[in-house]
Amino acid sequence: MNELEQTGLAAMRDCWITGGPTFDLAPAAWKEIAGTAGPDERERRLLAIAAQALDIGLRPAAPKVLKRRPALPALALPMLPERLRPLLRAALKQAADARRKVRVVTLVASRGFVLHPMDWMPAVSDQNSPDVYAPWIDWQAGVEGQAHAPRENLTAENWDDFYPAARRIALADMRRIEPAAARMLIETKGSSEPAEVRLALIELMRFGLALEDAPFLKGLSTDRSGKVRELAGRLLARLGEHGQHGDGGADDPIAELAAFIAEGKSGFIRRRTTYTPAKLKSPAQEQRRAQLFETCNLVDLAARFGATEPEFIGAWQFGADNNADILIARMVAASGSDAAVTHMADTLVADGGKPALFVLHLMPRLDSHRKRVLVRLILKDWKYPGALNLAEGIEASWLEWDDLTNGQVLPALRSVIGATDDAMRRGLDDILETMGFLTTTAAAARLIDEVVAAGMPPAAPSLALLRLNAALAEHPSATDT
Amino acid sequence: MEFDLKTIEALAPDQASLSAASKLTKRSNWPRLEKNEQQALIWGECQGSGSNPYRVVVDTGDHGYKCTCPSRKFPCKHTLALMWIAATAPASFAPIEATPEWVNDWLGRRRKTTSQPAGPAPGAAAKSIDDALQPDEAAVVEDAAAVERREVAQRKRAQETRSAVSAALDELDQWIADQLRLGLSGFVDASSERCRRIAARLVDLKATALAGRIDEIPSRLMALRSEERPDAAIRELGKLVLLAKAWRSEPDDPELKRLVSTSETREQILANPDARQVESHWEVLGEKIETRRDGLVSHSTWLLDLNSVTPKFALLLDYFPASAGRRSNAFAPGDRFNARLVFYPSRAPLRALVAERIGDVTSGAAWPDFGALKDPLAARASQQDGAPWLTDNPLILPPGAISLDDRGTAWWQAADDPHGIALPIAGAVDQTLLGIDLGAAAALWNGARLDLLAAQSRFGRLDLS
Repeated sequence: MNELEQTGLAAMRDCWITGGPTFDLAPAAWKEIAGTAGPDERERRLLAIAAQALDIGLRPAAPKVLKRRPALPALALPMLPERLRPLLRAALKQAADARRKVRVVTLVASRGFVLHPMDWMPAVSDQNSPDVYAPWIDWQAGVEGQAHAPRENLTAENWDDFYPAARRIALADMRRIEPAAARMLIETKGSSEPAEVRLALIELMRFGLALEDAPFLKGLSTDRSGKVRELAGRLLARLGEHGQHGDGGADDPIAELAAFIAEGKSGFIRRRTTYTPAKLKSPAQEQRRAQLFETCNLVDLAARFGATEPEFIGAWQFGADNNADILIARMVAASGSDAAVTHMADTLVADGGKPALFVLHLMPRLDSHRKRVLVRLILKDWKYPGALNLAEGIEASWLEWDDLTNGQVLPALRSVIGATDDAMRRGLDDILETMGFLTTTAAAARLIDEVVAAGMPPAAPSLALLRLNAALAEHPSATDT
Repeated sequence: MEFDLKTIEALAPDQASLSAASKLTKRSNWPRLEKNEQQALIWGECQGSGSNPYRVVVDTGDHGYKCTCPSRKFPCKHTLALMWIAATAPASFAPIEATPEWVNDWLGRRRKTTSQPAGPAPGAAAKSIDDALQPDEAAVVEDAAAVERREVAQRKRAQETRSAVSAALDELDQWIADQLRLGLSGFVDASSERCRRIAARLVDLKATALAGRIDEIPSRLMALRSEERPDAAIRELGKLVLLAKAWRSEPDDPELKRLVSTSETREQILANPDARQVESHWEVLGEKIETRRDGLVSHSTWLLDLNSVTPKFALLLDYFPASAGRRSNAFAPGDRFNARLVFYPSRAPLRALVAERIGDVTSGAAWPDFGALKDPLAARASQQDGAPWLTDNPLILPPGAISLDDRGTAWWQAADDPHGIALPIAGAVDQTLLGIDLGAAAALWNGARLDLLAAQSRFGRLDLS
């Protein structure tokens, strides 16, 4: 289209918008085509020409500024083979919330694969997905600039070149291998970061936490952020450092919390000290007690009663007050020393029964062996199988077939399969999904056979994760990668 | 598999369904028959009367079923036929380990009411498999005089239709002139009501296809920004003028008849010796299932010819009433198959029927190298030269990427020409797509917006439809 035609078209367009004949405004060549027909026909002919001119002669005008996102980085693991994607999508569809979807993702990562980005992407705030997805979390966060290859060591010099999630993972790794070097980095670079980032960095100190970290953590008692000060206090408490030196008066929170706990004695021959939650008189008291358990540290509370942390935990009367038991378990998880955590876990798991479930609150601080022992115990007893859904930080793909045959799991599953009650069915679906995450490939395949033989429809959607598990080889073949 | 003919007889809603099912039990009607014994499922694809195949899945455990056909009989003839094949020729089903996604979708949605197979339905005794296998006696041989009478009546009806359509186009012409006189600003604002009124007149005057197209104009305008709508209205109305003129000059042209009044039947297309036939490997680029304003649902499946050196497409298009309920997809995007397609005769052949499915293609995932595609809109320009009334044209875009403008609208832009052409994309795009460089992309361009179907990337094939 030449310039005259473009000008003519613009004038005709304006005229048509408001209404009226455009023949006089049309370019000469167009007028010739419109010819000597009647006024309506001339307008229609011009309209047809204009339509084609707009369609073919003019191209969409690109905006001056078009923003491009950086390229989505490649991940360190190969993509899940195409043939398994339908099974994966079925498992993701069945996973009701983000936490359960992350379980699917974790299982796949445990077998050496990552998902296709159009099937699943981690959220910006995601802290639970496998580390391999860190580059995608950073990409989601939209940080500009170039990421360093994950193999490069993090240093004070290249600190700003790392995206936050990649930096977090690099620091966590460093804390496990060279804790002192990581601490120095956090100390050097952390002070210039905003409070939110500072808090996330200090949180990484929990990896490889040792007495050598105490001076740095003590130095944080003057930090600008209350949350940072609180976190540092908890980490110090884990090292056995007393953080709160109350005067023992009415304003001392430790004294106030201690007043909610009754010290007693039990046993005829060998008198033992016991700590029992005092009976509460009002919801307000309940609320206050919860606040105090949340803000006080275990080491200070134990010291108040003249006991060490393991002694205090050993003397606590689990089972007397469910809410108080949950609060003490959370307190141990937040500020208890490693010795207190393992003591509590080992004692309660050895005793079994309902109190063993309080160990679920300690999961983030337990080693892999203790986590597995607890899961096996819950499965074996089968009194509270739903508790497995609350457990955090369990590894994928380790539960063997023997673990399922050793206890009530299979008989209990068989009895629930025929149930018509909706709640029982939902419970069954949850358990099968959890099993899909925990079991090895062989155990997953056998469990599918078992529940189908017991009457479960072979095509049931609740078997989706088990099916994916069974199809995902534990040692990928060359063709899969 | 747990089917016997008695069960099928009991499940059938009536004798007619059984008789219809018996005609569909031929293996040639079923390009795909598969089973998963572990999950007690059989499924298949049946080439029915539509362009898109019907997908049927049956749970052999509890006789639950699903078919994508719009029939209101439950189970439909396709479901019965699949069960029939399972009962009489179970070896026809290929064992498959992983169930396809459409089967998984159904499994995820279905709610089991009973774990026991359904018992015989009331009235089961009134139906008989044996009767269904009897030849159809209703077909009587017509005498020559009756044939002639029928042909005369047909010619008369065709003449009447032509006169009615001609009158319809006269009314359309006048209506377009009125819109120009009253102003396109007012037309854009009241397009819904005005288009409905003229569409109803066109239906009365047997220009049904054109009426359906005009009914869709308001939604096409509303999909654009307000400042773009007048130009879009000029394009839409101008193309109607061109189509009306073309029909007047060649009222017997099959493409123009199809666009203005009614389409040929499947049988007519298959029997037409002039219809172009292409046997090739085809990839399903994507599907669009849209409910139209006239109460019909259009089901479009876009295919790419994998053996062609230039981008060649095919469109399988079906319409069915929206009241028939939600329709599932007929293919999975990315499916590849070897088939002979018959194209509806037209200047730029696109709409097609599957005449014969020869088998699935499992090798490869990449598209052919179509060479340098410097101007992504060149293909549209050449198609518009021959058929300027077309609204949507399929394109293969060269390597590019998706970017956002300051209003959040997504644009496709060529990779090697960041200051060159950029095409706005219809609707919202998945944010992940903004970080993926597209090797090549297949899309529909309607003159104002790009509708992405699929793309190639370093993450493999991306389904964008």
